[in-house]
Amino acid sequence: MNDLLLLSPEIIIAVTAFLVLTLDIIWKGDRRSAVILPWVTVAGAVAALLAVVYIWPAASDTYGIATDTGNFVPMLALDRLAIFFKILAVLTVALVGLSAVDFIAQRSPFRGEFYVFTLLAGLSLMLLSAATNLVMIYLSLEFLSISSYVMTAYLRRDDRSVEAAIKYLLYGAVASGVMLYGFSLLYGATGSVDLATIARRIGESQVSLTFVVSAVVMILSGFGFKIALVPFHQWSPDAYEGAPTPVTAFLSVGPKAAGFAVLIRVLVVALPEYSVNWTAILSLVSILTMTVGNLVALWQTNIKRMLAYSSIAQAGYMLIGLAAWSAEPGGWAGNGISGILLFLFAYMFTNLGIFAVAIALENQLGTANIDDYAGLIRRSPYLSIALIIFFLSLIGIPPTGGFMGKLFVFGAAIDRGLYILAGIGILNSVISVYYYFGVVRRAFFVEAEDDTPIRVSPALNLVVTVTMIMTLLIALYGQPFINLANSSAQILAAAF
Amino acid sequence: MPSDYVPILIYLLVATFIAAFALVLPHYLGPRRPNPAKSDTIESGKLSYGDARRRVPVQYYIVAMVFILFDIEVLFFYPWAVLFWDLKWYGLVQIAIFAFLLVESYIYIWKKGAFKWK
Repeated sequence: MNDLLLLSPEIIIAVTAFLVLTLDIIWKGDRRSAVILPWVTVAGAVAALLAVVYIWPAASDTYGIATDTGNFVPMLALDRLAIFFKILAVLTVALVGLSAVDFIAQRSPFRGEFYVFTLLAGLSLMLLSAATNLVMIYLSLEFLSISSYVMTAYLRRDDRSVEAAIKYLLYGAVASGVMLYGFSLLYGATGSVDLATIARRIGESQVSLTFVVSAVVMILSGFGFKIALVPFHQWSPDAYEGAPTPVTAFLSVGPKAAGFAVLIRVLVVALPEYSVNWTAILSLVSILTMTVGNLVALWQTNIKRMLAYSSIAQAGYMLIGLAAWSAEPGGWAGNGISGILLFLFAYMFTNLGIFAVAIALENQLGTANIDDYAGLIRRSPYLSIALIIFFLSLIGIPPTGGFMGKLFVFGAAIDRGLYILAGIGILNSVISVYYYFGVVRRAFFVEAEDDTPIRVSPALNLVVTVTMIMTLLIALYGQPFINLANSSAQILAAAF
Repeated sequence: MPSDYVPILIYLLVATFIAAFALVLPHYLGPRRPNPAKSDTIESGKLSYGDARRRVPVQYYIVAMVFILFDIEVLFFYPWAVLFWDLKWYGLVQIAIFAFLLVESYIYIWKKGAFKWK
C-alpha cells in the first residue's frame, strides 16, 4: 500500500480539525458551532476508525513509514501495537467530544475551538504511540503536551483553570527537559536515534550499566510525567481539579495511554538487553504509584481530585504488566504487554463513563464535590446504576472490564514469579474499595437535601450508555477483546 | 568511552576556577564605596524609572508572536525551492497543501481579531 494511504487515519483527523476550525470562523462561533461541530468531530473520528480497520491487514511486524526514502530513517511504525493505540485515540476523541457538548456551550465563548484541540490532541496520541525514533517521540510528545496545556487553560476567565495549566506547563517543561537529556545519553552511547538501531549497537558494544540505568531513569521522568507515575505525579491532582471536566476526562485517558505505548516501545525495542535492570526500577515505581495513589485518594472530597489519585493508582497496576515483561512468550496471561492493553481498553471506557456522569452532575449543580452524589438514586436512577458499574470496574470486580484487565496484568506477574508485586497490587485494590464505594454509598444510602431530577442531555446519555455497555461487554464477551490485546502486543522491531 | 571526555572535565574545572577566582578575590581585596548612581541598574545608558513589576500593554506581543510563528513556517519553503525541479509535481502539491494550511491559519487569526489594536 501507498505510504499516504497508510497514514489515512492521521490525515482524516487533521482534515477534520481544519474543517471544524473553518466552520467555526464562518459561523463566528454562534449557536451552530456549539451544536453541529461536536457531531462533525464524531463523524471525523468514526471515519478515522474505519480507515484504521481498512489499513489493519497492512500492519505487520516489518513495516515502518520512512520519511526520507534515500536514507531510510524510519519515523513511524505501523505495527499491531500502533494500530491498537490508534483505535484507542480515535474512541477517546469521539467520547470526549460528545461529553463536552453542553459543558463547553455553557461555560466558554469559544465553542468550536475546543473540538479542534480535542482532534489535534488525538492526532498527537496516534503519532506518539507509533513513533520509533527518539526525535519523532520528542516532537509528538511536545505536540501532545502543548495541546493539553491549552485545553487545561480552556476556561480562561476561571482562575483555577489557568492555575492548573500553569502548574501543568511548569512540570511538563522540566520533565521533558530531563527526558531529552536521557535521550542524548542514549544517542551519545550508540550514535543513533532509531530505536531498533540503538538496540543493535548496544548488543554489539558493551555500554556501561550506570550509563543505561541513568538514561532509563531520565527517560522515565518524561514518560512518567505523561502517565502520572509517582515521583512525577504532583501536577496531576491540581491539573485534573482545575481543568474543565471534559478535558480532565481526556487527560486521564489519552496521554496515559500514549505514555504507556511509548514507554513499552522504548524499553522493549531499544533496551531489551537490560530488561533485568528496568524491570527492577519499574517494580519499585509501580509499588510506589499504587500505594501513594490509593492512600491519598482516601481523603479527597472533590470527585475530580479523587479520580486523579485513582487514575494514578490505576497507572500503577498497569505498570505491573510491563515489569512482568519478558522476551520469551508467557503462559496463559501473555507476556505482560497484552495485559496492559486489555487493562487500558477497559480503563478508557470506564473512566470516560465516570467522567460523563460527573459532567452531567456538574452541568446541573455547578460543583464537583463528592457530597453532591448524595441521594443520586432518587435524582437519576440510570446514572446511579452506571456509576456502580464503573466503580466495580475500577476496583476490578467481575463482571466488568476492569476485572479482565487486572486478571491478565496480575496473572502475568504471578506467571513470572513476581508474587510480592502482585500481592501489593491486590492489597491496593482492596484499599481502593473504600473510596470508590464511598461515592456509591452516598448515591444510594444518604438522603439528598434536594430531590430535583438530574436532566441528562442526549449526547451525554449516549456516552454513558456506550461506555457502560463496553465495560460490561469486555468481561461478558471477552474472547474477541483478549484476542485483540494478544495480537496487538506484537511490536515492530526491525531495523531499516 | 568515558575517558574521551576527560578534557571536557578539565576544561569545566578550569572555567569554574577562573570564574570563582575573578568573583571571590575582588570581593575581599577591592575597596567598596557605593553611591546611588553606582548601585543603580544599567541599561545602555538609559535612566531607570519606576518598578519592574507593573502592567505592560500586551497587544504588541500577539503580533510579535504571530510574526515569529509565520517567520519560522516560511523557512520550510527554502528546502522545497532548492529541490523544486527534483520534487516535480509531488513536491508542488505538498507545498500547496502546506501553504493552504498557513493561509487558513492566517485567516483564522485575522477573523479572531488578533490584529485589532484595542
